[in-house]
Amino acid sequence: MEITGQLLLTVLMGAFLLGVAAFLARVEEWRSYTPLGAGGGAVGESGYGHAEKPAGLIRWFTTVDHKDIGLLYGAYATIAFVVGGLMVMLMRAELTTPATDVLGSATFYNSLLTSHGITMLFLFGTPIIAAFANYLVPLIIGADDMAFPRINAIAFWLLPPAALLIWAGFFPLPDVLPAQTAWTMYAPLSAGVGNGTQANVGVDLMLLGLHLSGVSATMGAINFIATIFTERAEEVSWANLDIFSWTILTQSGLILFAFPLLGSALVMLLLDRNFGTTFFAVEGGGPILWQHLFWFFGHPEVYILVLPPMGIISYVLPRFAGRKLFGFKFVVYSTLAIGVLSFGVWAHHMFSTGIDPRLRASFMAVSLAIAIPSAVKTFNWITTMWNGKIRLTTPMLFCIGFVSNFVIGGVTGVFLASIPVDLVLHDTYYVVGHFHYIVMGAITFAGMAGIYYWFPLVTGRWYQRSLAKAHFWLWMIGTNITFFAMVLLGYGGMPRRYATYLPQFATLHQVATLGAFMLFVGGIIWIYNVFVSWMEGARVESGDPWRLEATNLNTAEWDWFDTKRETSLAATDGGEDVQTDGGQESQRDS
Amino acid sequence: MDENPGLSEEYRMASPWPLFVALGLPIAEVGILFGLVPLAVGGLVLFCGAIAGILREAEYAASGWRALAALSLVIAGGGLALLYADGATESDLVVRAYSMVGAGVLMFVGGVGGELFARDAEPAI
Repeated sequence: MEITGQLLLTVLMGAFLLGVAAFLARVEEWRSYTPLGAGGGAVGESGYGHAEKPAGLIRWFTTVDHKDIGLLYGAYATIAFVVGGLMVMLMRAELTTPATDVLGSATFYNSLLTSHGITMLFLFGTPIIAAFANYLVPLIIGADDMAFPRINAIAFWLLPPAALLIWAGFFPLPDVLPAQTAWTMYAPLSAGVGNGTQANVGVDLMLLGLHLSGVSATMGAINFIATIFTERAEEVSWANLDIFSWTILTQSGLILFAFPLLGSALVMLLLDRNFGTTFFAVEGGGPILWQHLFWFFGHPEVYILVLPPMGIISYVLPRFAGRKLFGFKFVVYSTLAIGVLSFGVWAHHMFSTGIDPRLRASFMAVSLAIAIPSAVKTFNWITTMWNGKIRLTTPMLFCIGFVSNFVIGGVTGVFLASIPVDLVLHDTYYVVGHFHYIVMGAITFAGMAGIYYWFPLVTGRWYQRSLAKAHFWLWMIGTNITFFAMVLLGYGGMPRRYATYLPQFATLHQVATLGAFMLFVGGIIWIYNVFVSWMEGARVESGDPWRLEATNLNTAEWDWFDTKRETSLAATDGGEDVQTDGGQESQRDS
Repeated sequence: MDENPGLSEEYRMASPWPLFVALGLPIAEVGILFGLVPLAVGGLVLFCGAIAGILREAEYAASGWRALAALSLVIAGGGLALLYADGATESDLVVRAYSMVGAGVLMFVGGVGGELFARDAEPAI
């Protein structure tokens, strides 16, 4: 049996490698009649079309163009968001009743909980930021491409295998169970000791997948740092570098210090699980070592996820407030301050573990201090809007929603940073409510602001305004219903991570589920709107679709868009397929 | 997506190798971690082969075959290190060690063979 299995694997692997060789041979042939070379001008003779890229599906598999890779990241993050969203809808359905009546099994709930967290943070959050950064940073700073285009492609292509490994437990594979460790993977549960099921191969595969996503993020970060340092156009100095690139640069710095540590800790955990080491065993380094290592990565990860969305807000919000960003310099300084401070707060996740009280107090002080740069940003956004000519377009609505939700998510966080409050609220739904206000109410809202704002840039078309606004309001109300109910549940003492609960919590849980269904409906509207509008939305009529010139707030990526439009109009002899809707659509979203 | 060239789209922007670097790494990782010889060997060959391809394409290496042979030494060295570590631990690392050494030998033979025989098939310098 064992031999047959190995034989089968050998044959499959051999066939796969032969397939790869055949594919490469074909690509080599395709390459032989198109000149190749770094920097060589290989524009096709026809004058339009992507002469520098192969056609069809192979284009997407072989592309090293930052814009294509940005789109791939975006598509990937969207799929992951849908998967993670469906997982949580199952969980919220389960939580409508105190017993496990809906899913029928608490272990399945635990698996969904683990996978939802990891999917949303590593397979949606990080990639959607990479999508924006890949597409936009080179355009904004005037670079031809990323500094290392091929590494850029490798970083993306590591992600689909990572997702497959992380989700492997849910596939119908014999003897592979999904991980139930929660996203924090605390030892000793995650080390697979004891009589539970967590010594299972499914957990190893999940850890490997996470490791791969970390490798991918690190490669991406190195690339962004190199790009922003070395590939800027001459007129882009440090003094006038835009706020979005600043946040990407800071985020990349954080990734550079945080993710390799996660990778090492994961390897140590894998060694504990498979090769008998004792890094996190009681007789070795101890389970608390895992918490230190994990949170030394895990807390900067929070800022890795939130800084670029803050950059999007700082970039987009002024365009529709009719004013320049208030206190630009201080927004940059606060970004850098958050980046530095983020490495000094990790033990606030461990206040209740019995660590030295003097250590605890110092971590409390630094954690509270992070409120200062965060508030600097918040007040600067509010001040930017103050007395501005505000245009409530969909991106602007999402920006304002971001600020509103960030205030609630941030203030609930300040309370948690205080040791006495934390000791009461630790491991309750208050924490879940707090961080979902940030990850859903702030980060995802900023992502949506970016998607709607740059939709015309990427697709050359308009989204449907009424659907987009329905999306916003469903999400704004749904987010606040769901996660404020969680804050209240936490005050009541409802512990997090449980599939079952006492009957007194039922009403608030049902309210939270109602909010989650609003988010679900809003999500469906968003997906529909993006797909349909991309295919057949009204075409953008001008190089300045948001009419930024009127307020002197135009930015480089729209200049690029304008030039691209003109090039393509020239190439198609005046542009037959550009419809003339008589400027009507330029007012569609104003 | 507009299919017309813009500003930064006037040079070649495709490479077949990154996809296979990214496929080779997880296959090799799974193979080595679980001691599955075909996956370990195949994954390493794919991973190193694609890296060699990139090195040649980016002109960091004059010959992809020689790059492959150089990488094979690193992999075989890693395998030998595992073999050495096997004596020091209770875990069974022998299969993993030999699959790495084996992959290294395969790639070395492939690299040297390719350098000797396949070189002339490429355009002369």
